[in-house]
Amino acid sequence: MKMHNLGTVIGFEVRRTLTKPTFWLTSLSVPLLMAVVFALMWFSNASTAATVEAQRERGVSFTYTDASGIVSPAVAASLGGSPTPDAAGAARAVHEGRSQLHIDVPPDPTREPVHIVGADLGLIGSGQWNGIARDLVEMSVAERIGDPQLTTLLTSVDTTAELWKDGERSAGFGAMIAPGLFLVLLYMGVLMLGQQMLNITVEEKENRVTEMILTTLDPRVLIVGKVLAVLLVGIVQGLVLLVPLSLTAFLLPRAGGGAPMDAASEMDGPSFGGVVIEVDAVRMVVAAALFVAGFLLFTGLLVAIGSVMPTAKDAGSAFGAAILAMFLPLYTATAVVSDPTSVLATFLTWFPLTAPVTALLRNALGSLGVVEGVGVALMLFAVAGVLLWLGVRLFRQGSISYDKRLHIGKALRRS
Amino acid sequence: MGGMTDNTPVIEVRNFTMRFGDKAVVDDLTFDVRPGETFGLLGANGSGKTTTVRALLGIYTPTAGELLVHGRPFDPAADYSLGYLPEERGLYRKERVLDVMTYFGQLKGLERTRAAAWSQHFLERVDLGDKGNARLTTLSGGQQQKVQLGVTIMDNPSLLILDEPTKGFDPVNRRLLLDLVEAQRAAGATVVIITHQMEEVERLCDRVLLLKDGRAEAYGTVADVQDAYGSGIVRLHYAGALPEPHGWRPLTRERNYAEIELGEGTDAQVLLRQLVDAGVEVRSFDASRMSMEQVFLKVYGQAPDEAEGAAA
Repeated sequence: MKMHNLGTVIGFEVRRTLTKPTFWLTSLSVPLLMAVVFALMWFSNASTAATVEAQRERGVSFTYTDASGIVSPAVAASLGGSPTPDAAGAARAVHEGRSQLHIDVPPDPTREPVHIVGADLGLIGSGQWNGIARDLVEMSVAERIGDPQLTTLLTSVDTTAELWKDGERSAGFGAMIAPGLFLVLLYMGVLMLGQQMLNITVEEKENRVTEMILTTLDPRVLIVGKVLAVLLVGIVQGLVLLVPLSLTAFLLPRAGGGAPMDAASEMDGPSFGGVVIEVDAVRMVVAAALFVAGFLLFTGLLVAIGSVMPTAKDAGSAFGAAILAMFLPLYTATAVVSDPTSVLATFLTWFPLTAPVTALLRNALGSLGVVEGVGVALMLFAVAGVLLWLGVRLFRQGSISYDKRLHIGKALRRS
Repeated sequence: MGGMTDNTPVIEVRNFTMRFGDKAVVDDLTFDVRPGETFGLLGANGSGKTTTVRALLGIYTPTAGELLVHGRPFDPAADYSLGYLPEERGLYRKERVLDVMTYFGQLKGLERTRAAAWSQHFLERVDLGDKGNARLTTLSGGQQQKVQLGVTIMDNPSLLILDEPTKGFDPVNRRLLLDLVEAQRAAGATVVIITHQMEEVERLCDRVLLLKDGRAEAYGTVADVQDAYGSGIVRLHYAGALPEPHGWRPLTRERNYAEIELGEGTDAQVLLRQLVDAGVEVRSFDASRMSMEQVFLKVYGQAPDEAEGAAA
């Protein structure tokens, strides 16, 4: 195929997209929105914690009744509590604003909740009542046990695990992360670039530019150039999205003290959030092949849809149906995961539209053999090739079928 | 401009047939276009004109036959330059004028800077010098037509193919287009015009091809075609009574004026003698060839503007 004017097409398409303010507005809006939400959450948490801590430090007077006998009077006194025999009267005092808090510990706190009657000091101010009630019971229990180590074990037990499969140590969930990223990439690619891919063949038709364009280059060059341009734009868009996220991921663990990372760093391999990520070269290669083939299939499908439909609006409906079919396996993931050899899982793995997501999912979970994975990838490459060929053939006809949907049979006979 | 140093046809169409399903849109068509000439491709809607051009430019694959430009099937990467104004035309409406023109210039083989400079020069020439950074959608219809023309004649193409070039154009842009075409022709370009405007055909075209139902109905110089459809027209101012027609027939007959079509083999001198012999007082006698408008009417049974509106 002659690549005459390929660079010109890519240059024009990339330049005109990247110079549009709307591109940057929409691209930056996602990380910007996420940054704003994260910042709000961080400030809100910090502010809430500070407010609660300040109020607790200021000291709160409260009354309590203890039917269980667990509460230590000394602990209660240290927290500002004083016992009362009249729970109803203490609650009434809170109702009438004469007291801020009454805590009623039931006979068996393991079966019944501790009841709190507190003044409404707003969302943050009222939040401290739960903390005081919990402190009252937990500190009393700790005092009765008399051993800080045992008390700590009551609240949390850390575990480490090693998993084995076929006589070899397995990274378990950690082994799914790296190949699973290709599934995320496919999903993001479809979401971010789908509409642009669809426009590849619709735009010239809608603008009545096709005939002039086709006298300057081969239609395959136009489509390949536009696909490559969309991919380049997608990479830019991905970087715009990933750089702030990566910075956030890089900075947040340090802000939180980094304990999980420290624990994980003692093990082999890279880790994230305490999970060791195992990189299996074979699974990664299969995942990459499935991703590329799946993306090509998706591209070919959209090019073909765009060639047949007269307007972007019409193409959008068909696009929606195709995307639904592609991501249908996510709704049946439980069935596929629980029995990868079932008829359903096999069908979804080999049906071209559902194959990319199903195969990537199974590959990440380790239930897709190498031979089967390569087979599915080859099938996807073949179908993608046929779709792209069909898309280009239909584009020749469809792009000058300005006002009506193209009849595929007639078009193929004509071109 | 390539292809003008010898008399080798710029365009050769040999036994071209195009079928869409069972329907033959063009049937065994043969013609050529010589270097430097302005060639008119005429016909009613659905007669196969646009299909022929699309097949010539590789947009359609012909069912049979051969369509060559400079001796080879059309190739966008070839070393000759083409200016093509299709019937269905538009531009990237959301983009800036200069960006779009520069893009088309690059596609036609110009360096980016040269294409941008040419485009800016053209915009200034057509009073759109300040619109280079405007988006096309903000331009009026007439202004967009000017940009379209600029894209078509960019880099002075050696071959211009204009499909219904004045369709939808306002009178100012129609004049501009015809001037630009004339300038290209004067510079040696070969021009193919597909049009319903018979006045333009008579004024611009050296040779024409009349298509009817996908077949060549008439082919040759404008004069040849006019002669083929009648010996001529006589516009007569007179007094008295016209004699019985012999070898001629009146197309229009008013009290003191008539337009008379001469039959095959009937000379204007013969008519004049008949009139004088019949005692008609001839005040003026203007003999001319049949107009292309009348030829069109004869071939298609309808006027060109009616043919334009007819369904394909």
